[in-house]
Amino acid sequence: MKLIFEKSVPGREGYSLPADQFEEIPLESCIPKEFQGKKRELVEVSEVEVVRHFTRLSKLNYGIEDGLYPLGSCTMKYNPKVSEHLAVLDRFVLAHPFAPADLVQGSLKLIHDLGVMLGRITGMDAYTLAPAAGAHGELTGVLIIRKYFEDQGERRIKMLVPDSAHGTNPASSAMAGYRVVELKSNQEGTVDLEELEKAMDSQAAGLMLTNPNTVGKFDPRIDRIAAIVHERGGLLYYDGANLNATLGLLRPGDTGFDVVHLNLHKTFGTPHGGGGPGAGPVGVKEFLRPYLPSPVVVFDGEKYRLRDPGEKSIGMMRAFVANFSVLLKAYAWILSLGPEGLREASEAAVVNANYLLVKLRDHFRPAYGGYCAHECVLTGRDYKQHGIKTLDIAKRLMDYGYYPPTIYFPHFKPYAEETLMVEAPESEGKEVIDDFIAAMIQIAGEAESEPGLLLEAPRSTPIRRTDDVLAARRPVLHYDDELKLKAGE
Amino acid sequence: MRFIPNTESVRREMLAEIGVASFEELISAIPESVRFRGDLDIPGPLSESELLQEVSALSRRNGDFARLKPLVGAGAYRHYVPKAVGALLSREEFYTAYTPYQPELSQGTLQAVFEYQSFLARLTGMEAIIPSIYDGASAAAEAALMALRLSKKNRILVSSALHPHYRSTIETYAAPHRTELIEIPCREGLTDPVRLEELLGEETAAVIVQSPNFYGGIEPVAELAAAARNRSVLFIQVVAEALSLALLQAPGELEVDILAGEAQSLGMELDFGGPYNGFLGARKKYLRQLPGRIVGETEDRDGKRAFVMTARAREQDIRREKATSCICSNHGLNILASAVYLSLLGTEGLYRTALLNTRGAHYLEEKLAGSGKFERVFGFPFFNEFVLRSREPMVEVREKLLAGGFIPPLGLGSYLGDETLAGTALFAVTEILSRNDLDLVVELLAK
Repeated sequence: MKLIFEKSVPGREGYSLPADQFEEIPLESCIPKEFQGKKRELVEVSEVEVVRHFTRLSKLNYGIEDGLYPLGSCTMKYNPKVSEHLAVLDRFVLAHPFAPADLVQGSLKLIHDLGVMLGRITGMDAYTLAPAAGAHGELTGVLIIRKYFEDQGERRIKMLVPDSAHGTNPASSAMAGYRVVELKSNQEGTVDLEELEKAMDSQAAGLMLTNPNTVGKFDPRIDRIAAIVHERGGLLYYDGANLNATLGLLRPGDTGFDVVHLNLHKTFGTPHGGGGPGAGPVGVKEFLRPYLPSPVVVFDGEKYRLRDPGEKSIGMMRAFVANFSVLLKAYAWILSLGPEGLREASEAAVVNANYLLVKLRDHFRPAYGGYCAHECVLTGRDYKQHGIKTLDIAKRLMDYGYYPPTIYFPHFKPYAEETLMVEAPESEGKEVIDDFIAAMIQIAGEAESEPGLLLEAPRSTPIRRTDDVLAARRPVLHYDDELKLKAGE
Repeated sequence: MRFIPNTESVRREMLAEIGVASFEELISAIPESVRFRGDLDIPGPLSESELLQEVSALSRRNGDFARLKPLVGAGAYRHYVPKAVGALLSREEFYTAYTPYQPELSQGTLQAVFEYQSFLARLTGMEAIIPSIYDGASAAAEAALMALRLSKKNRILVSSALHPHYRSTIETYAAPHRTELIEIPCREGLTDPVRLEELLGEETAAVIVQSPNFYGGIEPVAELAAAARNRSVLFIQVVAEALSLALLQAPGELEVDILAGEAQSLGMELDFGGPYNGFLGARKKYLRQLPGRIVGETEDRDGKRAFVMTARAREQDIRREKATSCICSNHGLNILASAVYLSLLGTEGLYRTALLNTRGAHYLEEKLAGSGKFERVFGFPFFNEFVLRSREPMVEVREKLLAGGFIPPLGLGSYLGDETLAGTALFAVTEILSRNDLDLVVELLAK
């Protein structure tokens, strides 16, 4: 499809502005000549052309309302329409972050109350809603741990991270200055207690754990894990990527976790936005409250205010307060479901995943035995003998009208290779899942009888497989790069 | 529950197919000692109409911001966002989609990001644009960490006219890396070039200067960047009001090494401070050190133009602890907002919007400073923000403006805790304020 730049025609306009009532003021009297730049050439396109351009672009995408989006670990659940409506209420959306506190009591109360609700859902004592995404929450949480040990006068330089963890865990730890020690999982896919005992020494700040973890397992020894980490003076960090399996069933705060981050765009029904924005609130136990980033919302019995938590705070993680509209959508989602609804959601997600596991396990060998939590990790390893990789299976699913599951994650030897991680959240009904299962089984048959169908897939999508090596070798990062390339420069 | 299609009987059917007698069997791995058995102490469930009432009531505890016009900016600017932006963003194919890992089903998102990178490359003159870091402050912090990696040195000089939130965020991010942050003092509201020269040394990794700066002043970026370059020190420019780029010299042409910006002004509402969208610009040779996602052009199997995420071997999902950053989810939908906004405004629209901003700001500044009720604090050139000192107590200025339907400017003395700035205020004027509005402000404050 043409770029918007290729649709530009001199003289067309897509904007409307009030008449310039300041024409008597010359630009030179505002900005001295030496600071002025030349006029930037962007595009000249009418409004209808812009609207058609982006509408057509949208049709090259696949959204949750187009069908099942079984991306494991991403919790692609339905995003309620009412939330989108609420998020654009004038009094919220036009609120300036530096408006006097009296004028933003509604916004502040919402942030405050959402923090309280998340605390009760996860069993934590205090929340910051500032972090902009899950990984931003991780960085916040690990910096809190770091500051805490500094205050205790303890020098701990390592952070323990299981091999099954999301890449963000080691990356956040490294960004917070820790040396990352990878823990090998045991043959059930959970934390190897012996490995943990060995690694959890006086140099280790703690353990970052996802529970249920990324291979879809609740850790049966979570009580023992917490005890080991705490006995050695470490702190236990909860990665909330998989919280959707636990609502009303298991609270990280009751399980010994000291710091928790959540992904509101996964568990709490806010949209993924084609990459964001999300929000990654961080909850802590009482002893870590003083370390929360600035500012925090406090209620003095009469008014809500923004306050700096004081000298122990890690400082600011971003400008202003929070990703407000994302918080608003999560707040609306929680109120819509209520306590029973939350538990019902997690239970439905767990049932869906196990149903998928049982129906597909004879065709795509699971990475591990036993039941799973809210997502199941299958593999395409049995099709290697036919020259088929998991990637080919994923691409073929597109021809059946599905967005593929997460592939090649988790990825570690020897169990989690050629993985397909499937998650059908609570918002998916049995018929939808049955259709998907049928497509997967059909593809399994094709892999043996007509592997070419998989190798050539997809054929029904707006574009076919891409040359990623070319993109990396010859970076064309904007339109002017393309023009230069065409001109042979 | 309307978001959960499977009924109790379907659930029983599924459990039977799984081969368990009860749901509890599926989660029997959870030790009973930690199982949560109570009822969560949260409100709800609410019907949709109850929810609407509840949240609308909450919104009414805020001011009537459709009526109140802001004279405050300080990193968050109320510009007019055409309705087509929101309408296109509310297409489910955009807002419910995931990160475009599968390019065959994500060309819409990927092309829009590429177009945004193209717009920003032209606006900033930078060779490579990272389209989304969470916001301007975290983009500035990522730029600082990037400079530490590139230079392998550990001292960063930060202009004292940098937005305090950006400054604090850089401090937070840099704290674990034994980084020394040294403040470059200001003279007349601009980064002091003499002090900068004195502070530049062997151990300096980078210089960070915001322009227009926190007080609104346009910094002599060319001169400051040259000073850094002469000492082989990386120069990082921060831009918090991206609309200024439409009138001012392009950072790329001023030989800025890394640009850290906030794109909120390009199609995003105030939203009480977020989500906005940070971006980075850099020389192409620094591509492998940049954090976050970037889209590149390539071809598909049939030779058709296609877009993909590229230079991926910097990211956390591939490089884990060796990644350039932990950033994963970014502010993708805000990228789209800016792509649509810039397409609509185009060459002329953006230029004229910027002109309205700067002329309106100078109109008000002139009137207030000429009234005898205010005096100029700094003599620097500015875009759409400026500082005045009131001869009346700030409290009264604020009361009058609020009563007249305006959100007051930021009082710098109390906000920065700086006594030398007592009685001063940072005003912002955007195209939202008409000449009549500005005349009313003058009438409220100067009569």
